[in-house]
Amino acid sequence: MLPFALAGLPLAQLAAIFGVAGTAVVALYILKLRRRTVAIPFSPLWQKVLKDKEATSLFSKLKRVLSLLLQLVLLALLVFALGDPRAQAVIVKGRNVVVLVDASASMQATDVAPSRLAVAKDEVKAMIRGLGGADRMLLAQMDAVVTPLGPMSGDTGELERGLDTVAATDTRADFARALRFATDTLRGLERPEIVVVSDGHLGEAADSFGAVHLGDVKLSYVKVGKGKNNVGITQFSVRRYPLDKSRYEVMLELTNTGDVDADVELELTGDGQPVDLTKLRLRAGERLPRFYPNLSGASRTLEAKISFAGGGHDDLPADDHAYALLPERHRAKVLVVTTGNMYLDAALLLDEYLDVTEATPAEYVAKYATGGDGAKKFDTVIFDGATPATPPRTNAIYLDPRGPGSPVKVLAELKQPGFDKIDRKHPVVRFTALDDVNIARGHKLEPEKEDKVVGASEQGPILVAGSRDGHKFVALGFDIKDSDLTLRVAWPLFLLNTINWFSDDDASYLSSFRTGDVWRIPVAGDREEASLKLPSGVLTEVPVHEGRAVYLGQHAGFYELAVTPKRGDAPELAGPATAFAANLLDVEESTIAPLDTLTVDGKLAGPLEGFHVGVRREIWIYLLIAAALLTALEWATYHRRVTV
Amino acid sequence: MGLLESLGLSRGSSRVASTKDDELFGDDFQRKLDYLALVSKRVFAGRMRAERRTKKSGSGVEFADHRDYQPGDDFRYLDWNVYQRFERLLLRLYEEEEDLAIYIIVDASASMGFAGGEKLRYAKRLAAALAYVGLANLDRVSIVATNDRVMERMPTTRGKARIFKVFRFLSSLEPSGVTNLGDALKTFVAQNKRRGLAVLLSDLYDPEGFEKGINVLRYNKFEPFVVHIVDPAEGKPKLQGDVLLYDCETGDEREVTVTAKVLEKFSAAHDEYTQSVARFCATRQVSHIEASIEIPFDELILRVFRRGGFLR
Repeated sequence: MLPFALAGLPLAQLAAIFGVAGTAVVALYILKLRRRTVAIPFSPLWQKVLKDKEATSLFSKLKRVLSLLLQLVLLALLVFALGDPRAQAVIVKGRNVVVLVDASASMQATDVAPSRLAVAKDEVKAMIRGLGGADRMLLAQMDAVVTPLGPMSGDTGELERGLDTVAATDTRADFARALRFATDTLRGLERPEIVVVSDGHLGEAADSFGAVHLGDVKLSYVKVGKGKNNVGITQFSVRRYPLDKSRYEVMLELTNTGDVDADVELELTGDGQPVDLTKLRLRAGERLPRFYPNLSGASRTLEAKISFAGGGHDDLPADDHAYALLPERHRAKVLVVTTGNMYLDAALLLDEYLDVTEATPAEYVAKYATGGDGAKKFDTVIFDGATPATPPRTNAIYLDPRGPGSPVKVLAELKQPGFDKIDRKHPVVRFTALDDVNIARGHKLEPEKEDKVVGASEQGPILVAGSRDGHKFVALGFDIKDSDLTLRVAWPLFLLNTINWFSDDDASYLSSFRTGDVWRIPVAGDREEASLKLPSGVLTEVPVHEGRAVYLGQHAGFYELAVTPKRGDAPELAGPATAFAANLLDVEESTIAPLDTLTVDGKLAGPLEGFHVGVRREIWIYLLIAAALLTALEWATYHRRVTV
Repeated sequence: MGLLESLGLSRGSSRVASTKDDELFGDDFQRKLDYLALVSKRVFAGRMRAERRTKKSGSGVEFADHRDYQPGDDFRYLDWNVYQRFERLLLRLYEEEEDLAIYIIVDASASMGFAGGEKLRYAKRLAAALAYVGLANLDRVSIVATNDRVMERMPTTRGKARIFKVFRFLSSLEPSGVTNLGDALKTFVAQNKRRGLAVLLSDLYDPEGFEKGINVLRYNKFEPFVVHIVDPAEGKPKLQGDVLLYDCETGDEREVTVTAKVLEKFSAAHDEYTQSVARFCATRQVSHIEASIEIPFDELILRVFRRGGFLR
């Protein structure tokens, strides 16, 4: 049995090609031997010159045969290369390898120069150069998603170009997803192998579908990194006070994931100006929460930054910086239709960002109720015991509604109702305690199908929220003056919660998104695309689905989302830009000590083996090199007149 | 007007002038011949006269020398004036007037016709020029064409008027055959009993050796004058690569791969060959001149005259 097999043209075809080409070479050689005939006047002169050459005429003939043989050998080498010969063992058992390159945040650690990711890329490059002739490899970047960097290929150039595109992200790696991708890719292929190039902090190889099973796929692990000194910001949040939106509070958490104590300086800046600077000492492994209440000054951006005392730095700078945005404040216009209610006025005075207009029922009818359009310029209309004949074309709060103009039917009067059932998750009752509110009398409300009963006594609903014709409303089934609600903190909170709910100025506002998640950012208007400005300044188009821009964020920092106007739209329809922040905030990624072993599906990943740099098992390359060398030799000997 | 024309012997008056060699012996050529004839007279009348004086006393009118009287001498040639003054009997010697036999031997072998026959054409012109000068001096001029034998022969003639006979003869020569000067000149000496100047115009490409032919002349008391016709281009052939060389005379073939080195060697061998001709002639006191076809023929003729030995 031959020690090699042909992966290219079959042997019979090669023989035919060699036969034809060989014949042509011999024919050309013979033609070449037919010399040009030249007349000379006196041959004895030439005989004298060529006397020395005659002595070696036999050798000359031999050299000519040698020259022909050399050409036939060259031809044989080239034809054999066409057959793509490969060693039997290799051609049968070429490996199929999926290399998962960890590009999560911890790979930005600089404990190995220049960074873990750069070292990982070098390792993969060495693997690519050590591929066997029959081996094929697929590279994939593993972070919050798994991104294949090219097709399964044995072409080193293509693989190296793919490898060059690997870039670090501020996310954690979705190991289970990457493994599922790899096992799916390798299904049915010969000698499947997964190589994980990582620092080992990949979490459990399980997802909502359960643990990943590798089957007969070989798993190899290339460990990258050696250091573990790191202090990171693992929590960072900010919110405005509901009753005083000019003030806010910040909560953050620092974690020392290293095994030595660390002295750090924590700097908090608002709108670029320092807000607070604290020196802290974190013991090894300590998680230190910090709370900053009652802050003021900043109106938009907040950043937390840690630096090491003495100008040093830890091994992972990526988690030393966190970003947050304070919720946007905007002035809400409120129209109060009342005959006079001190409690209502007092509650509305608490929020300086409310622009309150007061009108009597008669004035409302005269000025604002015409077709309901007059009230449209207000964000909220509060009807205090005065229910309009037609609902306004804006959001409305109905206090003790009556008559046909009420958004909900007002039924029988209730004696001493109470808030026996409360939908505590509803925004309008957030932070309130309504359980012990005393009410002298009220009316049972009958909500429609889509309405939400927020509060109800045992006798029936008394607080209903819903929407009519696209405008929200909240109906309270009693006169606040017939209860002690007005004497409680819950009253202004209820009012402000309701106004905020109307304006989507939700107290559940997230001060930052987490990198690696799919973000869904609300977008005004029915656009299909929005323009997102990344922290790096790069603009990218993101799709808008069901009124929300969808984007998988992978980098920490401040983002700006602007609605892309439709073709033909006026520029002003582009709408205001929405800003938001994104952070890593992941203890798992901040823990950078590399793991020595990797276990998946109960299988311990083995060390990398079988990649030998500089050894290609593609024989045709060597055949071509041999042909080139022979050609060079022939060229040199021809020009030095050795073979002629 | 040329000398020939003044004698009524211009080419236009000749019915037998070869149309084939119009260019070879054209008007320009004839004018040059006139010029050469004049120049040659001046040369002989000038500094070369002493060299040309014959040692033989004879019945001519031109005084040559005195010598002591010896018994048996003719009294008529005693110089009585000298006897009266010096009381010595001296005999007056006179130059014998004798017409010279000039044989012009033109090699018309195939090698002379090589590369367009430039060498043969050059030899013909030289032959015509020398013949004209000879005829002008009332010498007896004969022309012989050879290869490996005597191909053709123009009988001995005398007088300028015979120049067109010379032209016709030379024009009719075509290169052919193998060079064998030895055999050819043996025939020549056998046919020509009267000794004289034998001017050999040849490229001397003789496979049997050029020496043989010259020696035949020498051994038979002819005074050889070798004009070696050389084409410098033959020493530097424009050849490259694999070629099959064949000898235009013998037809011998030979495969050669011509390289710069081989060309260099050949050029050296060619130079050595021409030098060996010169060396041979010098050592045997044979008048020799190397006639490169790149030199205009009239310039060469003057060089021949200046070398002397051509005319007595």
